[in-house]
Amino acid sequence: MKYRILALVLGTAALAAPALAQNSPLPLPPPVEKQLAARASNVTEVTLGKNMLAFAAKFMNGKDKDEAGVRQLIQGLDGIYVREYTFDKEGQYSMEEIDKLRQYFETSEWSPLIREREKKNSESTDVMVKLVNGESHGMFILTAEPKELTIVLILGPIRMDQLGELKGIGGLGALGGIQKGVKTKTRKGDNE
Amino acid sequence: MEEFEQELRQAFERRPAPPSLKRKLMARRAEKRQTQHRQSHIQLWQRLAASLVLAALLGGAATWVRHDREERRKGEAARQQVLTALRITGHALDQMNTQLAAHDRTEQR
Amino acid sequence: MADDWQPDFEELVDDHQSMVFSIALRMTGDRGLAEEIAQDVFLELDKHLGKIESAEHACFWLRRVTMSRSADALRRRRVRSTDLWVEFEEHHGAPMEVRDSPLGARLEVLLSTLPEAQRAALVLRYQEDLTPDEIAATLAEPVATVKSHLQRGLKLLRAKATDHLREYIRDKKEYIRGV
Repeated sequence: MKYRILALVLGTAALAAPALAQNSPLPLPPPVEKQLAARASNVTEVTLGKNMLAFAAKFMNGKDKDEAGVRQLIQGLDGIYVREYTFDKEGQYSMEEIDKLRQYFETSEWSPLIREREKKNSESTDVMVKLVNGESHGMFILTAEPKELTIVLILGPIRMDQLGELKGIGGLGALGGIQKGVKTKTRKGDNE
Repeated sequence: MEEFEQELRQAFERRPAPPSLKRKLMARRAEKRQTQHRQSHIQLWQRLAASLVLAALLGGAATWVRHDREERRKGEAARQQVLTALRITGHALDQMNTQLAAHDRTEQR
Repeated sequence: MADDWQPDFEELVDDHQSMVFSIALRMTGDRGLAEEIAQDVFLELDKHLGKIESAEHACFWLRRVTMSRSADALRRRRVRSTDLWVEFEEHHGAPMEVRDSPLGARLEVLLSTLPEAQRAALVLRYQEDLTPDEIAATLAEPVATVKSHLQRGLKLLRAKATDHLREYIRDKKEYIRGV
């Protein structure tokens, strides 16, 4: 009896984990991340909650156009969650693991925007948007290349045009295209 | 005038100090020294207390300076993390665009 | 002046308390006040004992400070000569018969009627037997000023002494008649 109750409690906790994660602005790292990190030759992990983002905003150089733009962008955000895994060789992760990652972050609030699968090159792209009253309140990007895996989760009100203006910061200009993509581009990958 | 001055000198003979003068004087002197000793004792404690307060303040100030430096270091670290996150985001979006472009080319064929 | 002169406080008190007391008494005309001033002066000496270089220096220092303290006390009290006369008579007057000279009997009272500056000059001249130069050094005044004070003070004192002498003789006669 004791053990059944324990199992029930643990089971409930396991099921509730993503749900619990959804209650706090940023999710807990999914279990699969540990396995990916163990195989990666290089890992970059950034987890910034609302308070930390506000704190960081104070130290942005207001005189620099790009940093001023960044400050404006991040000040209203609830969190930024980024993971970048680089592998020495191909085949260090599977599509199942990619699906697990996507499913972990995907809830009913999220609308898939892009789902691209390139089986031949083992490449995939998932972009999801969290819409609240028709307004974008979150963005999820999961890109997979043979030797690189990237997860980006941005929570909070995001203005895509604001992101697009930050061209000076590593290709964020590409986000300008996403704005158009919200309405017109919905691609299904080869696997679906 | 000389006779008067002589008379004056006689009249101006020093009056003996009352016996109580020395007694009272020595008593006051002893009391003063005791008070001074007590005061210097108190002053010593006051100086010590002031030193402790000053040390605490300086320590506090040093703590504040250290805290401020630490704060700035953390802020700078947070700033770098934000920029890193956005760089990675940009890179991910670049990848996405590349894949989409490749898919578009495939479709057109 | 011996280089190894070491001031002994109690010794200095014994040697100079009469001088200090007398100066204060003749300047203020108040015995009680004079005693207080004398105590204060010696306590001041105790504080500055380390700076006293010789016995002569001690004497000079005591005179100077006693004069200064007396002047301060007078300023505080703003004693008028007539009031002092009454006070002296009421509190400190010795029986007339014990005084040898009529002037001696009334000196403090007569002095109190003189302006302070003249009083000071006379006290230092006739009590302390200082020269005008020494008086000038003690009071930190020009010699000429001291001499002027001495001259005028002496003249005034003499005039007052004469008036009081007449009165003294009259009183003594009455006293004798009464016995």
